[in-house]
Amino acid sequence: MDIFLCSSVSFVVNRLSSVSCQRQHRRRAPCYTSPFPSMLQATIRSYLHLSAFLLLIAFATSHAQQPLPSPLADAAGLFAQEILSHNGLPETVMVSFNNLSSLSPSDQSAATDAILARLRSAGVHVVRADAAAELQVTFSEDWQGLIWVATFKQASQSNASRVLIKKIARPQRTASLQSAAVTLQKTLILSQGAPILDLIRDDQTLLVLEPEQISIYQNDSGRWKFVSALPVAHDHSWPRDLRGRLQGTARQFTAFLPGTLCTGTISPPQMQCRHSDDPWQVDRNQLAFFSSSRNFFTGVLAGQNAGASVPPFFSAAAWQNGDKRLWLFAGTDGKARLYQSTLTSEPVIQTDWGSDLVAVHSGCSSGWQILVSSSSSSHSDSIQGMEIVNGGAVPVSMALEISGAVRALWPSGEENMAANAVVESATGKYEAYALTVSCNH
Amino acid sequence: MKRTLLLLVVITNLLAASSACLAESRPRYGGSVRILLRHKVTSLDPLSESDDPATRDRVAGLMFETLTQIDAEGHTRAKLASAWQADAGNRDWIFTLRQASFHDHSEINSASVAASLRSVSPDWKITVNSQQTFTIETPSPAPHLPELLALPRYAIIKRLPGDVLLGTGPYTLAEWQPGEHVLLAANDDYWNGRPFPDSIDFRTGLSLREHLLERNLTLDHAAEPSPDQLRSLEQANQTLLLSRPADMLLVFFPEPGAKPRKAVDPRLREALSSAINRATINNVLLQRKGVPAGGLLPQWLTGWEFLFPASQDMERGRRLRADANSTQPLSLIYDSSDPVMKMVAERIAVDAREAGILVQTFGDPHSNSRSGRATLNADAILLRVALSSLDATAALTELADELALPADTVSAIVKASRPEELVEIERSALADYRLVPVVRLPQALWLNSNVHEWQQLPNGEWRLDQLWVEGSR
Repeated sequence: MDIFLCSSVSFVVNRLSSVSCQRQHRRRAPCYTSPFPSMLQATIRSYLHLSAFLLLIAFATSHAQQPLPSPLADAAGLFAQEILSHNGLPETVMVSFNNLSSLSPSDQSAATDAILARLRSAGVHVVRADAAAELQVTFSEDWQGLIWVATFKQASQSNASRVLIKKIARPQRTASLQSAAVTLQKTLILSQGAPILDLIRDDQTLLVLEPEQISIYQNDSGRWKFVSALPVAHDHSWPRDLRGRLQGTARQFTAFLPGTLCTGTISPPQMQCRHSDDPWQVDRNQLAFFSSSRNFFTGVLAGQNAGASVPPFFSAAAWQNGDKRLWLFAGTDGKARLYQSTLTSEPVIQTDWGSDLVAVHSGCSSGWQILVSSSSSSHSDSIQGMEIVNGGAVPVSMALEISGAVRALWPSGEENMAANAVVESATGKYEAYALTVSCNH
Repeated sequence: MKRTLLLLVVITNLLAASSACLAESRPRYGGSVRILLRHKVTSLDPLSESDDPATRDRVAGLMFETLTQIDAEGHTRAKLASAWQADAGNRDWIFTLRQASFHDHSEINSASVAASLRSVSPDWKITVNSQQTFTIETPSPAPHLPELLALPRYAIIKRLPGDVLLGTGPYTLAEWQPGEHVLLAANDDYWNGRPFPDSIDFRTGLSLREHLLERNLTLDHAAEPSPDQLRSLEQANQTLLLSRPADMLLVFFPEPGAKPRKAVDPRLREALSSAINRATINNVLLQRKGVPAGGLLPQWLTGWEFLFPASQDMERGRRLRADANSTQPLSLIYDSSDPVMKMVAERIAVDAREAGILVQTFGDPHSNSRSGRATLNADAILLRVALSSLDATAALTELADELALPADTVSAIVKASRPEELVEIERSALADYRLVPVVRLPQALWLNSNVHEWQQLPNGEWRLDQLWVEGSR
């Protein structure tokens, strides 16, 4: 067991005699005439007021510095209760605690105190030695959470012991968000177990494109409440890393999926799907054809750029900066290609970006920013704001840390919202975020 | 020293080129993934005997799927079964199947699943309710049946004449030379979407060392290094995946059966257990990559292994040896194809000698398989047993099966609904010192830097669902 940091603590709690505090009855003091001049009296009164004020502050401060109750204290109390009912402890017992887990000293102390308090309140006398029974509580852990193990032995049965095992959830930790010059912010819209491919919303309605359905939510006092779902009919298996695009309004919408196009309304709720190779709206200013059996755009463009083609790509952005037209494509070969003025020009290559990017018009700085996912393949991702300056990309925001992997990044059709991002968290949940860009002056 | 330096230089030079990769985050289709496996795969049938079942299951798991699976978080998830529910007594389980096809394009249905499961567990009563639903009735309550069904041996297989096995998985068998080479091709009709790579090419019975010396490692995407290579690879900043310490090395005293072998005195078995210095074996021989083992299931999986101490007690060992009053030497056989096993067996012999027990070690290439060790006339065998599940009940069931524990022990494991019951089962299984856990080792994997989304579970299992490689589309 040498891999674990072990600390063993034996507790001795002699029978606690209840301490009764007798209230001292104050006698009313005899009343004397004041021996001090009135000015001195005022000074002393002020001093007393100040002292009282300082004492109040000191009390408040000391009270504020009291450790917060550990979330494990309640669990420890319940565990002690189970020990009592499971083992039927005798009146006197030797209790020892052992920590084989990553529990912090403060959490361990809180758990220990709670267990001892519960045992004492049940009338159990806890002693150091010479007890007929021994209770060892081990704060252990497995790969998922905390495991508390109580082993109870009686001296008369040296080899036999009874074991009680309890799984306890690990206390949660929270992370903070960094900010910088141009600030990216994310606001959680929805979290669910099923994959989210894209979404659109207005004040009252939220539509979520999932692999097998479009889920309809209604605003219920500020919370999205699931109302119904429209099934997505498709005649072939979806490819891996399924992608989809949802466009229109929350009332009348079009869903693009590989080889499938669905159109529908929510009032009345209806949707028709059909086999289709129609181009997807990649960006406000760009249409492109998506492979019907893969996870990328083929490179053949449509709409304003019909007839033009670029290497296959995962995502794209097109925007007008002054009199200059710009296109950016995150290629399937890991290279992001920036075209300026014309798609036949030689592109500027960027190789350290992720596969998802989106152009947003924030009005900050040069007016347009590109939000780019990171190239990290780990389970912690980030999105960063970039601007194109003199043909090169310059970071203009701190990386917005994402706890999970970015699975989709599409421009948002909403006012004041730059983009929607879908993140697959480490726990396998899908979280949809609204991303905004704000100017830091 | 010279050899290590040479190895380090070779690794650094050969692999530097492969580390210069382009960045991306969205998976790419195409390419062939080449994987070197240390052990030979002589059969792809999950029900067959194997010297290294874990290696076989890695390959077979890409073709044959189970009804359920346990994910990286330890949760039981749907696979070929889309839903299930049990009665209050946990004996009758109703399963619903999803729409999926075998590799011959025939749909899976309740009848084909029932036929497959009956070949594994003939004592289950399986009733076909409809095309997509069926009921499993177990002889005794089985509260962890969904977790058990995630074990590779419960894979749903359509068995055709001529030993043809068909699965439903993301890859189909394209080429196979037993013991040498398995080529799997992407299943375009896979119910969960075609996998990203076009194929996976397993070269079996090959070590990373051989390929380093042949200077062709840049062609490989993954390989299994041995523990003595880990440090060199770490120093060369290579991508290494290390599982939690999952593989257990244990001394196994077989029941004296058909072979004319005298049972080893239980006190001598306990004496040997007390004499083994597990901490030194881990710290020195295994370069602190493992952990000493006292119980059958690892501490990181259950949180209760500490209840089975693994510390050395030489005094007790000497006393027990004296009580047993035996001067007969003990024969200890180890897997001669695994250099780690040889080192550990020899170290056990050294510790035993200090307690007055004479242990003679012998190597045998097939001692790790059940049929192989049945033919051995040895007092004890040093075994390496993989942790086959992230669920404690399923893992202990598989361990009991592998170690041929009594049927009532297996039945008790299946029936167990509380961890305290599993502790008691472990305790009684270890009580007679026929099983002496020694140490646990992680499973190690080297990955080329152009490999993405290779998921290794804490017990060393591979999940290649989302695997993709660069240089392909």
